[in-house]
Amino acid sequence: MAEKVFFIRYRKYIISFAVMVTVMMLLPLRQARINPDLMEYLPDDIESKVNLDMLEEVFGHYDPVIIFFESSDILREPTLKRIREINNSFNSLAEFEEVISIYESKYIRGEQGAMFVDPVIRRIPATEEQREQLRREIMDNPLAWKLLVSEDFRYTIMILNPSEDVDDAEVFGLIGKVLEEFPGDERVYFSGLPFLRNEIQILAARDLSLLFPLGMVIMLVFLFLSFRELRSVLLPFSVVCMSTVAAMGLMPLMGWDFSIIAVLVPVMMIAVANNYGVHIVSRYQEIYAGNPEMDVKDIVNSVMANLRRPIILTALTTIFGILGLAAHVMLPAGQMGIVSAAGIAFALILSLLYIPAVMSMLNKGKIHKSYVGEKNSPVDRFLLWSGRITTGRPKLTVMLFLIFLLVAGAGISRLNVSINMEEMMPSSHPLRISTGIANQHFGGTKYISVMFEGDIRDPEVMQTMDRFGKELSQVRGVGSVTSIATVIREISRALNDPGDEFYDVIPDDRTAIAQYLELYNMSGDPEDLERLVDFDFTKAILNVQFRAEDIREFRRITGVVDEMVEGSPHAVLQAGQSLIEKEMSMLIVAGQVRSLLFALLAIIVLLGLIFRSVYAGLMGAIPLVFTLICNFGLMGWAGFDLDIATSLLSSIAVGIGVDYTIHIFWRLKQELAAGRGYSEAVRLSLATTGRGIAINAFSVMLGFAVLFFSGLVILKTFAFLIIFSLLLCLLCALLLVPALSLMFKPAFLENIRSINMKRDN
Amino acid sequence: MRTLFFLILFIVPGSAFMVAQDPAEIAGKAADVIDFESLEMTATLNIHDHRGNVRTRQVAIATRKFGETTKTILRFLSPADVRGTGMLIYDYEVRGDDMWIYMPALRRSRRIVSSERSNSFMGSEFTNADMGTYNPDEFNHRLLGSETFDGKECWLVESVPATEEMKQENGFSRMVAYIGKENYHTYKVEYYDLNNELHRIMTIGDYRRQSNGGYFAFSMEVSNVQNNRRSVMVVNQFQATSDLAESNFEVSALENF
Repeated sequence: MAEKVFFIRYRKYIISFAVMVTVMMLLPLRQARINPDLMEYLPDDIESKVNLDMLEEVFGHYDPVIIFFESSDILREPTLKRIREINNSFNSLAEFEEVISIYESKYIRGEQGAMFVDPVIRRIPATEEQREQLRREIMDNPLAWKLLVSEDFRYTIMILNPSEDVDDAEVFGLIGKVLEEFPGDERVYFSGLPFLRNEIQILAARDLSLLFPLGMVIMLVFLFLSFRELRSVLLPFSVVCMSTVAAMGLMPLMGWDFSIIAVLVPVMMIAVANNYGVHIVSRYQEIYAGNPEMDVKDIVNSVMANLRRPIILTALTTIFGILGLAAHVMLPAGQMGIVSAAGIAFALILSLLYIPAVMSMLNKGKIHKSYVGEKNSPVDRFLLWSGRITTGRPKLTVMLFLIFLLVAGAGISRLNVSINMEEMMPSSHPLRISTGIANQHFGGTKYISVMFEGDIRDPEVMQTMDRFGKELSQVRGVGSVTSIATVIREISRALNDPGDEFYDVIPDDRTAIAQYLELYNMSGDPEDLERLVDFDFTKAILNVQFRAEDIREFRRITGVVDEMVEGSPHAVLQAGQSLIEKEMSMLIVAGQVRSLLFALLAIIVLLGLIFRSVYAGLMGAIPLVFTLICNFGLMGWAGFDLDIATSLLSSIAVGIGVDYTIHIFWRLKQELAAGRGYSEAVRLSLATTGRGIAINAFSVMLGFAVLFFSGLVILKTFAFLIIFSLLLCLLCALLLVPALSLMFKPAFLENIRSINMKRDN
Repeated sequence: MRTLFFLILFIVPGSAFMVAQDPAEIAGKAADVIDFESLEMTATLNIHDHRGNVRTRQVAIATRKFGETTKTILRFLSPADVRGTGMLIYDYEVRGDDMWIYMPALRRSRRIVSSERSNSFMGSEFTNADMGTYNPDEFNHRLLGSETFDGKECWLVESVPATEEMKQENGFSRMVAYIGKENYHTYKVEYYDLNNELHRIMTIGDYRRQSNGGYFAFSMEVSNVQNNRRSVMVVNQFQATSDLAESNFEVSALENF
C-alpha cells in the first residue's frame, strides 16, 4: 500500500527537485548587496524625511563623521601639530567635502579698535605663555569653545562631511590611513552615523559568519543527544538550510538589498522550519518503538498520515501571521515577512515530501528508549513533570500563569522606544565612549535644525533666531545653539566696544545687519556662512545640539523647540537625523503593533476554521497573547528598548507559538478520539507530541544562546528575548494549553472525531 | 601686500615689440607694472551660485600711490542696504596692509585685520590674492609651451609660489597663465589648489588702451570648477589717473559719506 504513496513513488524526483531548487536559489545570492543604512529604507514621504530633504536641498547633504582627539592638553605642541597635519590631509582628499576643526574655524574679535578675523589657531604656541594666550582666546571664542574644544582642553573634535557618493567602508579606510600616517599618543574616537553603519556592518558580518554556524552546531548536537540518531538530526536540519537558502535567495531575486533585518530571516527559518522535521522524526521514532516489526515505508506513511494536516495547518497559520509584516511601513520588515513566508512555504513542501522521501530510502534505524518506558533524559523528565502538574492541578497552573502574566505585563508601562542607535553597541565600544565624551564634554549627539524663511536680514527674523538661541540654551540638556545670529552677535562684539549701543546685540536696523554680513564676506570666508544661511538670504538654519538618553528626554527638548516654532511665523520647519531616527523608531513600533494585530486576527480566524469553532480560535490565541504581553513586559522590566529587531521578534514568537498550540490541540483531539479520558490524553500528548515540541524549542534556544557572544548589543538582547519567547511558548504549550483544555473541556476537541479517526486508521 | 588691490592685475604693458623666451621675463613683463600710479573706476560684480542665483554689487574705487604706499578707497554703490559701506586700504611695500571699514549703519569705521590672502573677495570667487599686487619675484616660473587661446598666440607660463608658506598664503599650489605673445596680455589663468587639483579658471578680456599707453582689462570672470560658482567683474567707468588728494584716503574721509 505504501508503495503507491506519492512521496514514495516519486521519491527520486522529489529529492532531486529539492536539491535543484536549493542550488538555483544559491545563484542570486552572489549578487546580494548589503545596505546597513536603515534610514534609506524609510518611505520617502514621512514627515521627518521630507523635511530633511528640503533642508539638504538648500544647505547640502550633511552626514558627518566626528573624530575626537583626547590628550592631556590638546594645546600641547605635538598634539596641535598632529591635528594640523591630519586636518590638511583630509582637506586634500576629494572624498571629504568639508572639514571642520580648530584649524578651520574662525576667531572674530575686537582689539585696540580693530576687528580681527583669524583662524582659531594662527600659529602653534611654542612657549607656555603663548599657549596660555591661545587658551584664553579659545575660551573667549563661542565658535570654538565647547563646540570644537572641551571645557577641560582634553578633547577636541574634527568633523568630516564625506561626499554623498563615497561609501562608509571607503571613508573609514581613508581616515585610518591618514591617522596612521600621522601617529601620535592622542587617543582617537569616532562617532556619527557613518561610523555606526560601518561598525554594524563589520560586527554583523563577523557575528553572522562565526556565531550563526556555531549556533547551528550546538543545535545539531542537542538534537543528536535527543534523538541519538544522525538522520533525525540531519533531515530537519537540511530543511532549515534549504529553506533558508530559498528565502535569502529570494531577496536579491526580488531586487532587495540585505539590511540588518535580513539577519532575522535565517533566525526565523531555524526557529520555524526546524519544527516540522523534528515532529516527523519524533513521530517516526514513536511509531517505530510501538511497532518494531513494521516496514520502514509503512512507518513513514503512517507518520505522514498523522502529521500531514497539523503540519500544513501550523505552516499556514505561521505564513499568514508573518505576512502581516508585508504591510509594515519599514520596507525591510515587509521584505522579511514576504521572504520568510516563502521560505516557510518551501520548508512545508520539503517537510511533506522530501523528508518522507528520504526516510523511506533509509533503513529503519534503532528503537529509541524514550518510547519504550525507559524515560531518562532531562527533556523526558520535564515532560513527565508537566503532564503530572497539568492533569493534577489544572486550576493552579492557570492561576500561576495569570499571576505571571500580570506581574510581567506590568513591565509594559516601563517599555521604552529606542532612539539611541549607538546602544546597539556594547558599552566598551568606541562609539559608546565617543558618545559619552560628546554628552559630557560637548553639546551632545542629537541635532535638530530649525529652518527660518523670509528676509533673513530683517531684524525681526534675526532677533527671533537670537531669542531661540538664548531661550533654548537655558533648556536642560541643550548643549549648543548656533545660527547666523550667533555670527552677527560675534561681529557686533568685535566691531563695537563694551558699553556701545551696538555692542553684543542684534541691530535693530536691516542695513546694519546687511553691512555686518557684507563685512564678514569681505574679511572672513563666505563659505563659513553657507551652512547657516543660503545664498540670497531667504533661508537660514538654527542648529540645536542636545543630549537625550531616552525618548522622554528627547520629547521634553523637542517639545520646547516645537512650541517655539509654533509661535514664530519665521520658523518654518524642523529637520534632522535625530528626528528621522525618532520617527523611524515610532514607525517601527506602530508597524509592529499593526502587524501583530493582523497576525492575531488571522490566526484566530484560521484556527476557528480549522477546528470549526470560534472557541478554538480564541483559545488558541491565549498562548500568543500571553507570550507577547510577557515578552514586552519583561523587556520593560529588564530595561531593553524596543527597536526594529526586538519588535520584529514578536512576529517570530507568534509564528512559533501558534505551531506548538496546534500540535497539542491536534494530538489531544486524536487521543480523545481514540476514546481516552482527558487526563490520559493530556499525559500521552505531552509525552509524545510534547517531546517533539520540547526538543525543537530547546534546540533552538541553545542555538541562539551563542548570540550572547555577539559584539552587537542588539543581537544579544535579541538572543535573550527569542530564548525567553520560545520558553514562554513552550510553557504555554506544555502547561497552559493542556490545563485550559482540562478545565474547560472545549467541545471542538471532541466534536470532529471523524477526521481524526480516518487519519489514524 | 595683502590687500584688495586688484587694479594691478588689470593693467598689462603695451610693449608689444619685445620677444622674450625666458618664462620669468614673460611673467615679469605680463605683470610688470605699468605706471598707472593712480586711477578711478566703477565696477559691477556679479556673483553666481551653482543654482544660478545672482548677487550683484556695484563699487566705486579710487587708488593712488603716495610715496611707498598705495592707498585705495572702495565704496559700495549698491545694493541699497550696503550702499555707502566703504573700505580703505594702505598697501605698504614693506609690511602687511592696513584696512579700515566704514559702516553707515553704525556711522563709524573700524580697522579690520585678516591674515588670509586666499580669502574670498567680497564673497565672490575672486580671492584677495587675485585682487592684490602680484610680485613675480615670489614665484618660480616655467615655460610650458605655446598655445592658441581665443585666436591669440599665447605662452603658457606656469608659476609656482617659491615657498610653502607662500602657497598657503596665496591659497594655490601653482598657476598656469596664457600670456599673449603679441602684447603680453594675460587672457586666462588656471589656479590649482593646494592638492594640485584644478580649482579656478580666470578669464580676462576686453582690454582697452588707455591714454598713457597702457592697457586695462574691462572684464574678468572666475569659474570655480570645484563648487560650480562663478563671479564676473565688469568695469563700467574707468579713468587712468586720479587727482584725489591724500586727505581723501584717510579714515576721516572714509567716514564722510
